[in-house]
Amino acid sequence: MPASSTATAVPTAPRTVGPRPPLGRTRARRRETAADIAMMAPPLILVAGLIIVPIGIAVYLSFTDWNGFTSPPHTIGFRNYTRLIHDPAVKHAAFLTLLITAIGTIACNVLGLGVALLLNRNTRINAILRVLVFYPYVVGAVILGFLWSSILGTNGAVDAALGAHHSLPFLSDPKWAIATVVCVIVWSSFGVNVVLYLAGLQTVPDNVLEAAKIDGASPWQTFWRVKLPMLAPTVTVNVVLVVIGLLRVYELILALTAGGPAGETQSFVYNILTSSFDNTQLGYGAAQSVVLMVFIVVVTIVITAARRRSEQAVAA
Amino acid sequence: MRRTGSTSTTVGAPSARQGGVLHRTRTAKVSVAAGLAVSLVALAGCSSSSASGSGAMTGNIRILANITPVLTKTYYKGLVAPFVKSHPGVTVTIESPSGTNVQSTLQQELVSGAAPDIVASTLDPVVAPQMTDFPNASWVTSTPLSDSNKVDGRIWQVATGLQNQSLVYYNETAFQKAGITAPPTSLDEFTADLGKLKAAGYVALQTAGEWVTGAQFSMMANPGLLGGDPTWYAERNDKKVTFAHSPYATYLKAYAGWVASGAIPKNSLGEKYQDSIDNFLAGRSGMYIMGNWLDASVDSAKNLPFKVGVFATPTADGSAPKQMSGQAQPYSILKSSKHQALDLALVKYLVTDKAAVTTSLKSEGNFRAGYSYSGSDLDAAVGKIVDTAPGTVTGTAGPGVNAGFGNELNTVVQSLYTGQSADKAAAKLDSWWNANAGQ
Repeated sequence: MPASSTATAVPTAPRTVGPRPPLGRTRARRRETAADIAMMAPPLILVAGLIIVPIGIAVYLSFTDWNGFTSPPHTIGFRNYTRLIHDPAVKHAAFLTLLITAIGTIACNVLGLGVALLLNRNTRINAILRVLVFYPYVVGAVILGFLWSSILGTNGAVDAALGAHHSLPFLSDPKWAIATVVCVIVWSSFGVNVVLYLAGLQTVPDNVLEAAKIDGASPWQTFWRVKLPMLAPTVTVNVVLVVIGLLRVYELILALTAGGPAGETQSFVYNILTSSFDNTQLGYGAAQSVVLMVFIVVVTIVITAARRRSEQAVAA
Repeated sequence: MRRTGSTSTTVGAPSARQGGVLHRTRTAKVSVAAGLAVSLVALAGCSSSSASGSGAMTGNIRILANITPVLTKTYYKGLVAPFVKSHPGVTVTIESPSGTNVQSTLQQELVSGAAPDIVASTLDPVVAPQMTDFPNASWVTSTPLSDSNKVDGRIWQVATGLQNQSLVYYNETAFQKAGITAPPTSLDEFTADLGKLKAAGYVALQTAGEWVTGAQFSMMANPGLLGGDPTWYAERNDKKVTFAHSPYATYLKAYAGWVASGAIPKNSLGEKYQDSIDNFLAGRSGMYIMGNWLDASVDSAKNLPFKVGVFATPTADGSAPKQMSGQAQPYSILKSSKHQALDLALVKYLVTDKAAVTTSLKSEGNFRAGYSYSGSDLDAAVGKIVDTAPGTVTGTAGPGVNAGFGNELNTVVQSLYTGQSADKAAAKLDSWWNANAGQ
């Protein structure tokens, strides 16, 4: 990923006022512009149709009381937004999602980078281990959720191994269930971080590492002073991807705990779907979706800006 | 969904580089045409596929069905097979829900314009505006609970039978070992028997996480809530009554006591529905509150190490409870369906044909006046309870009930396992109802 900060350093050519181009060239330029627009039209239509229009519809629905079955929707102003501020289920889901995101982001990146450093050498065993680490990411979240629920659920594989009187409440106690959800999420998703960090480590030039070695840098100093600063763009990509992914976590929770016990593991997106479909309040669900969307955009901008600022500070 | 033929193949790519502006202009035109073609094909693909008119008696009927361990796709295919055989040119596709349940799947499919023709599942009345009115014919009005599920005087759902749900299945061997000589009738007796079963080494009351916890609670408590006051939900909407001062509070208190005493293990919430059936059938638990569809699972279990008995759910005063009942295997027709006459013919077949109805009733041990089938001893025992019950009450869905109430009740009952007091649980139900009333 190119460092965006370098874009500002590119000198721009001074504008010169010259004679008007001949008519033929103007016509050609117009044709070129028309061709450019025509070439861009299909992706623009797709983006508008698949992203902008749905977002617009979601924003519109968030101001209605539509239940998904009756028509037309009735506009109710900001009532959905004021309601979600006071809704204890939304508050709990927001807190849980932030908790999962905070712990998950740190765990996925620390584990991802750590395992990437361990598997960075090109050996046969490392190739196998890379596949194994990445494998959970390839398997669907729903399958993983059901798999782990059969392992960790009451009377599951772990309970069977421990015996009837030593059952562990992985999915039945709220605190255990939240910890289980976080662990399974991290286990299932950090493989992609490993791959991204491995790709980032490949870009660290050998001559820089050799120079550090000649200068007498220890492995820790080499990592901390050389590799990590050079991995900064990779770290940003990983952090942004993990944060966005964890803020939207749903399928794995559905299959693993079904939001239980007592709704304690209902994430924000889980709550959106419960409001929208179980409670048939699509308008209210849309309001929650809009809030989540805005939050994700803001968090992404903040993370990117923070990285850019730190890069500029390092460069200075 | 049948797709129309792709028109994009008719757009020819430029045969050779012609150079300069002319080439780019042509490229632009081709791009625009290709873009339009792609859009049109996409739109055509999303539109309804049926070419049949509303009166046509041929075509493919899509049924979105409630799939359970008993009501499998194979079951539904077998059910409609005779109809398909007697109607040349008709095919039926059984679709299982892609969302968390049938109603949420239907909602998503309606929004995306890909709704099925028929829904085979219990639905909330909120869905009624999307459904075709059934005619005021005797075959419609004679279906079970056709009157009680009306919306604005319209019958929009017809059922094959009745499900009775206020039942407690029990392990007779466990009862003998625990020294219980007769099934309990009151909450106090029930609580005492739970203690005896636990002392005898059994999981006294079998439950599970998912939807099971709240469903079992309503099977037990709804006869208390609505038995003496069938209009209770309407009164709650008028704010004349509250959950905190209703029979629900009594049952919540009793339930919290069972959890606290260990009669219901706290780790039960880590089990899934099928786990709870398996545990009961493995003889690990003493009692299991469930609807009469459990008969099918019990009857199909091979070499059960004990005999299963059944009694009506206990009441506060020990009187015989009304049965929480609901429509069994109901059908609705979507207004958006392109072959209404064919849909109606199929639904009429499913709810009136003697063989189809009997197969349907037998599949879950359901009931319907005028229809009989050779059932098991357990079916007969349930039939006896139904016959002697003083009436029926509704569940956690239906006219006047906020959509999602069953889901919230489930969450609230599960909160008793996580330290919530019964009083706070009842209060939570009230605050949820207030927040969701009229939404």
